[in-house]
Order: sequence, then structure tokens, then C-alpha cells
Amino acid sequence: MDERLKKLEEQYKSVPIPKNLDSLVEASLKQRPKRRAPKWILGAVAATALFTAGLNINPTMAKNLVGVPIIGDVVSVLTFVSYEVEEDTYTANIDVPKISGKSEEIAALNEKYAAEGKELFEKFKEDVDWMNENEGGHLGVDSGYIVATDTDQILSIGRYVVEMVGSSSTVMKYDTIDKQKEIVITLPSLFKDDAYVEKISSYIAGQMREEMKATNQDKMYWVSDAGLEDESLVELFTTIKSNQNFYITEQGKLVIVFDKYEVAPGYMGVVEFEIPTDILQDSLVSNEYIRQ
Amino acid sequence: MSNSRAEQNLVTFIRSNKERFYYLAYSYTKNEQDALDVVQDSIQKALQSLHTLQNEDQMKSWFYKIVVRTAIDFLRKHKRQHLMEDDKLMLLTPQQFDSYENTDLEVALDSLPTVYREVVILRYFEDLKIEDVARVLDTNISTIKSRLYKALKLLKVQLQEEEGF
Repeated sequence: MDERLKKLEEQYKSVPIPKNLDSLVEASLKQRPKRRAPKWILGAVAATALFTAGLNINPTMAKNLVGVPIIGDVVSVLTFVSYEVEEDTYTANIDVPKISGKSEEIAALNEKYAAEGKELFEKFKEDVDWMNENEGGHLGVDSGYIVATDTDQILSIGRYVVEMVGSSSTVMKYDTIDKQKEIVITLPSLFKDDAYVEKISSYIAGQMREEMKATNQDKMYWVSDAGLEDESLVELFTTIKSNQNFYITEQGKLVIVFDKYEVAPGYMGVVEFEIPTDILQDSLVSNEYIRQ
Repeated sequence: MSNSRAEQNLVTFIRSNKERFYYLAYSYTKNEQDALDVVQDSIQKALQSLHTLQNEDQMKSWFYKIVVRTAIDFLRKHKRQHLMEDDKLMLLTPQQFDSYENTDLEVALDSLPTVYREVVILRYFEDLKIEDVARVLDTNISTIKSRLYKALKLLKVQLQEEEGF
């Protein structure tokens, strides 16, 4: 038996090593990630860091960066508080945004942001204590925000939390504000009745199937009739929630957002679908926010 | 800082074992380019998630786990294309015989279902302890033991048959 295993091993290792293995390994080693976070988050973090630094230091720079006038502009967003911890095996980076504005709705949002940021930090500290009392380990949390849209009329900001314990999980929550009226725009408030749920859901399901087909399943969603090997293994997407996560683009298009794992395997990350205004038109209250 | 020390150890580990990673990746992908992709992705993932490695003694099994998962993910994502390529090859090329001397042996290992092949590779060719094999494959020790037993039995049976027993 040992003889056979030896021969099998020789066979296993007789696969020729490609000439470029060395250079490929060296190249991969050089591309060191600076932060332990998914790539798209890296971009977002860099952008917000620049944005807030610029905003705090130099109004002109901020204006150039985000393309909005700062002076005389009532509603804007900046970092209210940052929690930072950098120890050997524990890192936390929590930026809590604050939206400037006088309305009660904006004050309520800011309160929610501050409370959630604090809670996240408290929980992180508890987890660190627990880890220290036990075997020790690695913990990371990275939270902050991105400005998805900032026009004269609307502000959409997305707050993310990336928790890294073993694998990483990503949660993204958007809020959209009418800057003129200083009110929060909810998904149901855009529509006359709840027919939009069905319209958007069936559009997204169709889109998922198409994308899976077009990319030969490189893109993958949990959706029926799209060639998934075993549909019973996953919870298939059937409908969005009536208050599904969303934002509005600069062009006035509705974008529906799903968290990592919500409708697709982890490698797809946070998933977004832009909904054509055509299919929503009959249901919209007006074209004030969502435009053709 | 201990973080950068861990990173240096990881880099050294990767440099000195890259061929082993390649063999392991190749045992899943059966294709040079894909195996290279898996190795590259695995290194990236390892550097990115080094903080999840709790104990440096477990670096080997931790890294192999990344390679195995990356390879399996890769196969899942590219299954269709591969099937097509294989089908095409079958149609377009006449049956070829390998020039390896021990074709029967290679066929024997290759013809094992993945769950059996991987335990043999990890346990005997990569010299991992049973408990480390279990960690790499995310399952428990008794499952690994029974798979190994079955794998060896299968290999033996096949070899014997081919040797004319």
C-alpha cells in the first residue's frame, strides 16, 4: 500500500510547473491590500476620508470634490465622530456621519446614526473583552458612509458596516433626503399604492435571470428558472420588501439595493439594480424625484 | 508589530510552498491557467484575511483551506464553460494516450470522487494531520477518517483490478 501511495504521490507531483508561477506569485505578493476590507469598500473609505478632510479644511476643495456649493447650502453631510482602535489583533474604524439641517426628521436621523455608531463601538469593546478573557483572537469592524448622490434637490447617503470575524459580512443602509424640504424620502412614499412591490420584484427577477444567462453564471443570483443547480438549497428571491433598501441617482433613477448574501452568493457582494422609470411611471406619485 | 511579523511569515511560507499550492489547485482544476488563477486568488485572499489566522502554527492548514475553497468556488463558477470545452475537445480531437509511465495510477487517483481524492492528497501527499485535514475541509475528524478508509479501499481495488488481480 505504501508503495502505491508513493507512486500516486509521484504522479500527483509530476504535473509540470508553469514557468510563470514564480512571477505570478511575486506579483500577487506585491499587491498587498492596505486595509482588510473588500475592494469596493477600500474605494469608499478613501473617498469619504478625502471628502470629510476636504470639507473640514477647505470649502473650495469640498466643492470641487462633490460638486455642490457649500456656502449657503443647508443640507450637507460630514463626519460627526470617529471611533478608532488599532491593537495587534483588534481594529475598529467607525465613522458616524451627521447631516446638517434643521428639521426634526434630520435630527432624528442624526440621533439614529449616533446611537447606532455608539452601539457598534460598545459591542466591539464587549467582544474584545470576551476574546481577551477567552483564547484571544482577531476582530475587525469597519463602518462609515458614502455619498451616493448629492444634487441641489436630494442627498442619498449609504452607511456600511463590515464586520470581520473569520469571513466578512457587509451591510449597507441608504437614506435619501429631500434637501429643500428637509424630509426623508421612503420607498413607499414615492408611489401611489403598493403595486410597485410586484412591479419592481418581477423586473429584478427577470434581470437576474438575464444576467446569469449573459455571463454564463459568472454572475449568480438566488432566483428560480435560471439554471441554478439545486434551487432547494437556497432561499429564492421572490419579492423585495416594501421598504427595501434603495437610493436615487443623480439622473433621478431608482436603485434597489440588496445586502451581501441577501439574494446572491457572497462573492457577488452588495447587489444593486437600477429600475427603468418606464415600468414605474404609472405607480409614481409624481416625477419630482424619479424621472424619465 | 506582530502583524507585520505574521505577514512576513506568511510571505515566506507562500514563497517556499508555491509549487505545492499549484499541485493542489491543479488537482481540482485540471488545467494550468485555472490552477494559476486559483493560486493567485488564494494568495490575495490570504493576505487580506491574515487577521483571521488565530495561531501561526495553523498557517499551513489555514492556507490550504483557502486554496481548496477558492478552487471549489472557481469550479462552481466556471462549470458550464468547462463542460463545453471538454465536450468540444472530445469531438475535435482523437483519443489520446498520455505518455506518463504510470497512467493507471494517475487514472486511479483522478477517477476518485473529489471528496476521496482530496483527503488522500492532503493527508498523504501534503502530510497534514487528520485533524488539520478536517479543518481544511471544514468537517469533523471521524468523517475524514471514514473517507480516507474508503478512498484507500477504492484505490486498492482499482489498482488491483488494473493489475489483473
